[in-house]
Amino acid sequence: MSKPVAITMAGRRAANNQIRGPQSALTDFLASNNISAAQISADYERRQREARRQQEQESTANGESIDQKDDEERVETAAQKKKRKRQQEKTLAKIKESKDYKRQKKRKDEGSDGENDDVAWDMYTRRKPLPGQLENCENCEKRFTVTAYSKTGPDGGLLCTKCSKEQEDQKKKDQKSKKQAVSRDKRRHVQSNLLDGIVQIGSRTLQELCIKEVANNIHEVEEFGDLPQSLLNRLSQILSRRRVITSRTLELFLRPDLETIDIYDCGKLETEDYIKIFSVVPKVQNLNLRNAGQFKDEVVDYIIERNVPLRILQLEAANLVSNGKWAEFFENCGLRLETLKLSWLDYSMDEDTFMCLIRHCPNIKRLKMKKCFRLGDVALGVMTELRQLEHVSLRFPTATTPGVLADLISSVGPGLRTLSLEGFSDADDDALSMIHSNCTQLSKLRFTENDCCTDVGFASLFINWSNPALAFIDFSSNRSVDYAVPDGPEDPVGLASGGFEALIRHSGSRLERLDISSCRHITYESFSRVFDGKQQYPVLKDINISFLTKIDTSIVAGMFRSCPELIKVTAFGCFNVTEVAVPKGVALIGVPNAQDAIVQEGEVDADVWNGLTM
Amino acid sequence: MAASSSPYVTLISNDGFEFIVSRDAACVAGTVKKMLDPHSSFAESISGRCTLGTINGVVLEKVCEYLYYNLKHKDEKDVPDMEIPPELCLELLMAADYLHV
Repeated sequence: MSKPVAITMAGRRAANNQIRGPQSALTDFLASNNISAAQISADYERRQREARRQQEQESTANGESIDQKDDEERVETAAQKKKRKRQQEKTLAKIKESKDYKRQKKRKDEGSDGENDDVAWDMYTRRKPLPGQLENCENCEKRFTVTAYSKTGPDGGLLCTKCSKEQEDQKKKDQKSKKQAVSRDKRRHVQSNLLDGIVQIGSRTLQELCIKEVANNIHEVEEFGDLPQSLLNRLSQILSRRRVITSRTLELFLRPDLETIDIYDCGKLETEDYIKIFSVVPKVQNLNLRNAGQFKDEVVDYIIERNVPLRILQLEAANLVSNGKWAEFFENCGLRLETLKLSWLDYSMDEDTFMCLIRHCPNIKRLKMKKCFRLGDVALGVMTELRQLEHVSLRFPTATTPGVLADLISSVGPGLRTLSLEGFSDADDDALSMIHSNCTQLSKLRFTENDCCTDVGFASLFINWSNPALAFIDFSSNRSVDYAVPDGPEDPVGLASGGFEALIRHSGSRLERLDISSCRHITYESFSRVFDGKQQYPVLKDINISFLTKIDTSIVAGMFRSCPELIKVTAFGCFNVTEVAVPKGVALIGVPNAQDAIVQEGEVDADVWNGLTM
Repeated sequence: MAASSSPYVTLISNDGFEFIVSRDAACVAGTVKKMLDPHSSFAESISGRCTLGTINGVVLEKVCEYLYYNLKHKDEKDVPDMEIPPELCLELLMAADYLHV
């Protein structure tokens, strides 16, 4: 490769040679304007050389005078110099007469027989000029009259009026920018809290302040002492959120007398740490570990071996536990299990293992299986045997058959208090009618991300339903997704006006949380009928109306009047909501131009904070 | 009976320090409020003196500071956090849990 380059270089110098290498646009431009880069660089070097030579000559000719000049750094006329000397001598004489000088001299004389002049000179140079005297400014070297207001410069000298002012201005500026940064940070914090649904009125509780302080100083804490479970849980939440749960901080949460352990981020824990949990807290019954990537077969072995009395188990992302080990775990510990919540298992927990679960866990009342990638129709089919179930939450990544789901609901429905079906996009009205005819004790219902069920289906679910009013309803994203027909078909698909109004009629009196985000076929008229400001929903405190573009300011205002207990409204993408006055204590999230400064009437809810965090 | 209507009450730490605070401030703490409830006929409600056997003087002083801080910022928004000395925070946390503040 090097050879052709050499050729082109030589060629360019020769100028006649036709072989050319790549050349830059700049070189092209210069060449076209008859400017040679080589010429420029040669000129430059020549100038440098000449300058250097000249400098050398000068220095040899002037000898040391240059250095001296550098030292003095200022040019004085002979007269000025004389004057200065005279003044200097006068001051020195004055100093020599002063008491201070005598005292210092005495001290020095006692030590050694040093020259007296030294002491005087020291004092002269160290002395600060008094007001009224002349002095050279430290920054600009200008001569000025010292006043009582002259400021001290960065190196301890005095500054002239102009420089003093500049320094003061700079100081003020610094302070101001610091202040602004703080307030910006605070505003960000308030907004961040708002997104979490926290509207702070009055001070935080002392507990919350202390917990924050403990979390800030977690590395100095040696043990928590006997903090109650609720505070441990809160600390775990905060530390997990900051991602500082490590082997060391985990130890703080382990106490032999505990029965409950919640760690919300185990990302930094190793296999030994999990084993340590069970060796230090052998009686743990309620275990909740999220992001538990290193929770491996060995840990399960340890649980089985030590016969840890687990009743409630929640694990997230424990992918390194093999199918065989799960089966072994269910065989040995299944009888005790009352609650099992597993999520984000993409490798193990296949349908055979799930059958093992069904067979060996006859007392299970609460089952949550989310994002378990290997479960599907078969799992739904075998779950029909779990008639004792009270709470079921399912989200399967794979498609399921509508009929299987309907069968499951009809068999386990009668005992259910919670039914959460997320992303069953193929379920149809049959599922809804099964819920209607079999579930009679539900208080929480979630049915999301579906575009098969019709509005009629939703309406008939709620009309004449023997189930008492629900406290929690999440029907988000039940809408038609045919983008060719943005308003949906003639007979509405998904939760639309009929279903929504039936829902409110059935459950409005006891509803606490409602999520109808993205149910975009609900009409404006329907909203204005439901939230007319007169009808009251006495316990509704959390509502999500995101991406319901028909909702406007007046609907939201009506919502505030209809729901006296409201503390959180999530309204992302509601572009018609503008300049709404938000009542005191309500967090309106996602509306950029809401005027939270305008606070309407309404009592402060003391438990706002407690009401909505985790 | 005079004590039950007095605007001031006394909080006593386990090492004998007495803090005389306004009734309003004391009632910020749920536990103390219940102790002082005139309908409860607890000894504390009659005498206006609450002995807090689990809290020492240093911590109780900080608690009293908080009670007034809370009262002062009752209806404000964006209240600045009160400074808590790190060496006290765990003890103070236990006390706060006990007192419901």
